[in-house]
Amino acid sequence: MQYLIYSLAALILCFSSSPGMAAPKYISLPPETAKLKKSGHPGYQVALQKCTICHSADYISLQPPGMSLRQWTDEVSKMKHAFGAPISDDEVSLIGEYLALTYGNEKIGIPVFPAHVEKTGAPGARVVDASALLTQNGCFGCHAVDRKVVGPAFRDVAERYRKNPQAIETVMKNIKAGGSGKWGSIPMPSFAALSNSDIKALAVFVLEQ
Amino acid sequence: MGNNRQIIQYRRRFLQSAGLGLLGLAGMSGKIRAAAMQTLPFGNGERELVVYPQKRSLLRITTRPPHLETPFEVFDESVLTPNDGFFVRYHLADLPLSIDPDRYRLTVSGHVDTPLSLSLNALKEMGRVEMVAVNQCAGNSRGYSSPRVFGAQLGNGSMGNARWAGIPLRSVLEKAGIKSGARLVAMNGLDRPVLPVTPDYVKTLEIEHAMSDEPLIAWEMNGQEIPFLNGYPLKLIVPGYFGTYWIKHLCEIHVLDQPLDGLDSFAMNRAYRVPDNECFCVLPGTVPDRTRPITRFRVRSFITSLQNGSRVKAGQKILLKGIAFDGGSGIKQVEISSDGGQNWKMVSLSRDFGRFSFREWRLDFVPENQGEIMLMVRATANSGETQPMTASWNPGGYLRNVVESVAITVA
Repeated sequence: MQYLIYSLAALILCFSSSPGMAAPKYISLPPETAKLKKSGHPGYQVALQKCTICHSADYISLQPPGMSLRQWTDEVSKMKHAFGAPISDDEVSLIGEYLALTYGNEKIGIPVFPAHVEKTGAPGARVVDASALLTQNGCFGCHAVDRKVVGPAFRDVAERYRKNPQAIETVMKNIKAGGSGKWGSIPMPSFAALSNSDIKALAVFVLEQ
Repeated sequence: MGNNRQIIQYRRRFLQSAGLGLLGLAGMSGKIRAAAMQTLPFGNGERELVVYPQKRSLLRITTRPPHLETPFEVFDESVLTPNDGFFVRYHLADLPLSIDPDRYRLTVSGHVDTPLSLSLNALKEMGRVEMVAVNQCAGNSRGYSSPRVFGAQLGNGSMGNARWAGIPLRSVLEKAGIKSGARLVAMNGLDRPVLPVTPDYVKTLEIEHAMSDEPLIAWEMNGQEIPFLNGYPLKLIVPGYFGTYWIKHLCEIHVLDQPLDGLDSFAMNRAYRVPDNECFCVLPGTVPDRTRPITRFRVRSFITSLQNGSRVKAGQKILLKGIAFDGGSGIKQVEISSDGGQNWKMVSLSRDFGRFSFREWRLDFVPENQGEIMLMVRATANSGETQPMTASWNPGGYLRNVVESVAITVA
């Protein structure tokens, strides 16, 4: 953590000098088209929401064929423990199962729709408390109420849509579809797996900030 | 955070104007569709050829963070890899998409007498040296690991050779004045993790290495600005060392009098590590007891003028051509076998671009008998190191340097 502070200090020094004269150089990257393979396994919905926060789906589809449930689960665990992926231990297991079934050598033996799905905010979970939803879906990995993290501050979102009569519908649509370009280049994952009532609860929370 | 925001605003401005074709640099839009695929010779090896800014068609390994591999035929074009064919690899998805060269600053901080904040012009006024050096991704050839391992599934194209121009890292450190007791020099670039809880990508060099005449801070690659995706405007060049040390968009140098620790020590202390033994290897599928950071390349060589499945005519002379390189002692000799490794014939080495460069080799070769033959190439470095006939294994899929084979048909 000590080093992180050095890094931030360096960024300040890198960018806070007097305004320049030559134009900055820009690039744009091709659109991201890779998608996770669809599956009825509940881990698919969790993977859609969590894995693509930090990397495109082709990081997964690229991997060698025939990896085992154990290997895939260890890899997902590494994402949580080494890279700070906002996933619970239950979600590590769920995503590992989905990946081993879909991309690996696991064919049978995993009970589909295991009991712990109810805790994840995946389909069927009946949660209406916005703060629980925010935590379960890793929203605070990328957002804070009052400052930009990766995505915009919830307050900035609320401010942008303050006078928009379609605010709730628009924010609900954005949560559901994900996307990029409205606030920055890093895409927000799609949260299409959440129920409409959960998405509405989230949109209302954001717009109240 | 205000300064971070500034960067973000640049990005947003770009997004608004991108449709107007603002810059030649932006160049390729999403309208250009992948023209072709190449298949690397291992399971799940299909790769799309894609065009990125300032790049010709390269093999897409991953989209975000971007990782693009050089199609192997590029290495037969010239001993210096063209900038637009040079591989691209980022670790962190929050990479800069806009950089203002006038506002760019390289800082030197930590265990120094005088902390510095240097503009690009100030750096360029400090001198200029050139060096030809190979950059090779630590995971180059990982897809050939047997048993396979997780990670970027690379063929042999995540490497390249370029003429770099800049100033020695030492010059900047001397200008700042290294205090006694300095042990490590940590380097950081503008790319950042998406989540604040994810480690940043920071690499360290031992102070003796940093103060040697090897590492460069480069602003030029093959006579041009460094392509954006290769680290514009400043890239750390660590000749003979794997690309994991070649920090792109270099903006921070921090001198340490103690080991690097904490979250951002990840890329030194937890990743990019190899078994700490003589072969850097363990029994396939097992975990090493002790590991250490990966550092220098091992000696490698390739045939570039023929690929697996090439057809040649019996009795007709062909020019066999390829490249060899090692971790910095230079190439002493390269040998070719056309009988699966029983007999070896010395080839001639072309112009020497320095001990860190690809060394081109050539051989006039007359295939005599019809049928399938296995060509093999083996290099020996000035250090005495040579390539093994069988591949060893480590959990990261690093350091592959087995003798390479190409199966061709003589008709």
